[in-house]
Amino acid sequence: MSNDLVIDGLSKSFSSSSAPVLNNVNLALESGSCTAVLGPSGSGKSTLLRAVAGLEAPDAGRIVLHGTDLARVSPEHRGMAMVSQRPLLFPHLNVLDNVAFAATVRGVRRRAARTDAAHFLDLVQLEGYGRRPVTAISGGQAQRVAIARALAARPAILLLDEPFSALDPQLRSTMHELLVQLRERLAPTILMVTHDREEAAAVADRVALLSRGRLLQHDRVDLLYSRPVSLEVHRLMGGTNEITGTVRDGVHYSALGDLGLPADTGWPDGPGVLVIRQESISIQDNTRSSAEYGVPGIVTDIRVLGPRRLVTVDASGIRLQTEAPWGRPLGAGDAVRLTIPVSARALVPGQPDPGGPTTADTATAVISTGR
Amino acid sequence: MSSGRRLPPWLMAAPAVLMASFVVLGGLLTAAAQSLGLLPLAGSPSLTLEAYTTVAPDLPSAVGLSLAIASASTIAASAVGFMAALIIVQGRWCGRVVAAVSTLTIPFPHIVGAASVGLLLSDSGVLSRLTGAGEAWPQLVGGPWWFAVIADYSWKESAFIALVVTGALITRSTGYDETAALLGAGRLRRLRHVLLPLSLPALTVSATIVFVYTFGSYEVAWLLGRPSPEPLPVMALRVFSSASLTSRPEAAALAVVTAIVSFGAAFAAFALLRRIPLWR
Repeated sequence: MSNDLVIDGLSKSFSSSSAPVLNNVNLALESGSCTAVLGPSGSGKSTLLRAVAGLEAPDAGRIVLHGTDLARVSPEHRGMAMVSQRPLLFPHLNVLDNVAFAATVRGVRRRAARTDAAHFLDLVQLEGYGRRPVTAISGGQAQRVAIARALAARPAILLLDEPFSALDPQLRSTMHELLVQLRERLAPTILMVTHDREEAAAVADRVALLSRGRLLQHDRVDLLYSRPVSLEVHRLMGGTNEITGTVRDGVHYSALGDLGLPADTGWPDGPGVLVIRQESISIQDNTRSSAEYGVPGIVTDIRVLGPRRLVTVDASGIRLQTEAPWGRPLGAGDAVRLTIPVSARALVPGQPDPGGPTTADTATAVISTGR
Repeated sequence: MSSGRRLPPWLMAAPAVLMASFVVLGGLLTAAAQSLGLLPLAGSPSLTLEAYTTVAPDLPSAVGLSLAIASASTIAASAVGFMAALIIVQGRWCGRVVAAVSTLTIPFPHIVGAASVGLLLSDSGVLSRLTGAGEAWPQLVGGPWWFAVIADYSWKESAFIALVVTGALITRSTGYDETAALLGAGRLRRLRHVLLPLSLPALTVSATIVFVYTFGSYEVAWLLGRPSPEPLPVMALRVFSSASLTSRPEAAALAVVTAIVSFGAAFAAFALLRRIPLWR
């Protein structure tokens, strides 16, 4: 599949900040794909989107669309449309004329522009809303109109800048479904900025993880969770378990014992940090047969996460966390055995920070889970 | 204060409304009564339209001239003020300079502005001397086209319009402008389809204030205009200052006509505003 958009070595600094907002970012978007730029506040993700849109001039690097360098192309000629957190519907136009805006400024006759706009209103399930003033629709409907307006411009790239972050969780889920449906019907190439891991996973094929202006990893959603390339990625994706040890012949040796690593990857011998998603670790049932296997430990803390519980276990002096469903009674001091599937194990280079390993409180704080 | 104990809006506005009503209605009623012979300076009151019939022959040219000066000044001030507002909301250094100049312009009294414009544009003024035009210098002050009067109003009132329109645009123009650009609208299309409609209510309201003010203001036209024909407010002032006590009702009649035209302009502006979607 060809690349619609290539971002090559993009850097950007502002005079108000000593550190660069974007630092040599490289990214390629396949045609028809949806890429989520994920990162904590201040990571430079909105600046990246604005640079792609032509609203910020980069200090260095290139943005290439279908083989054309966009350096000297003004925003109105880039063939992009943006939907931001605020719908920014033109208040002097009704819903239909907002959606017809791109056609109107292209010089399309009003009747034809409105007919076309009505089609896009149907696509976002707002048929019959065209004559309403924009002040007479809800926040979720306004965001649908903004998406319809952007799609009606037939953009080469649809830019979404945290478009659903102001909506309530239920409405946000509905909008995610709508976006998936629109992708199935229209297959637009989408570059979306979000600080919500779950939103990125719900709508995007690939995630570009940005932190302090640097692109840490650009990969499939599942690989970002299961195969982080660094401790920083693991933490930013909400991972909480980091076990220092040594790798030899595909086996990680640590205080937890010898844990085999997935055979689908060639793991280098030497020191390495084993990272395991807390969702992948399960607490075994208290049966005699299963009690002979797994990692033994003592429950030290239980925190409620809505439908699940975050259980902290001390295993041979190593603090592990697991997400356990409700049902089985658990309390601090209980002896348990943990199952750590081989496929959930991954290795990253480096040492955990003295203050930050295995606790992962910082990691869960910087990027919202959308819960 | 809890929401349940808050005063109703009409009660909160009442002091200002009462004060304004006292001045406006009191002044208007007094002028109307005087123009109708009900408040004579000498003699007994009697209802008559004599003051209106006396000034009637001069009214068409006076009203027409005042309307022309006010219209031209309002159009020029609106155009310049709107452009200045667009420059200010860009937020660049030149915008800050324009904002500072506009802010400094407003406190100057019109009479000072008129004197300055007179010194600048008259036959023997600064510009005439600087350019060395001599007798070829056009008659801008006291000339047939009332150029200096319109220039003064346009300069002073454009600053007022610029600041009012800036207030309406400053917090939202950037977002809408960027959105429109990304939807394919070039500069002129954004001006026509986004910035002008967003400014229209503020522009209409401020332009109406400028029109009504310039229609009823006498000092600039009196200083920089020609003696004849007279604009309506200049005529009203001359008649009011006349030595003859019997001319006071005629001055009051001219004031009432000025007020009626001004109210007409205000009603027309509100009718126009009701047709603007953003106002509704």
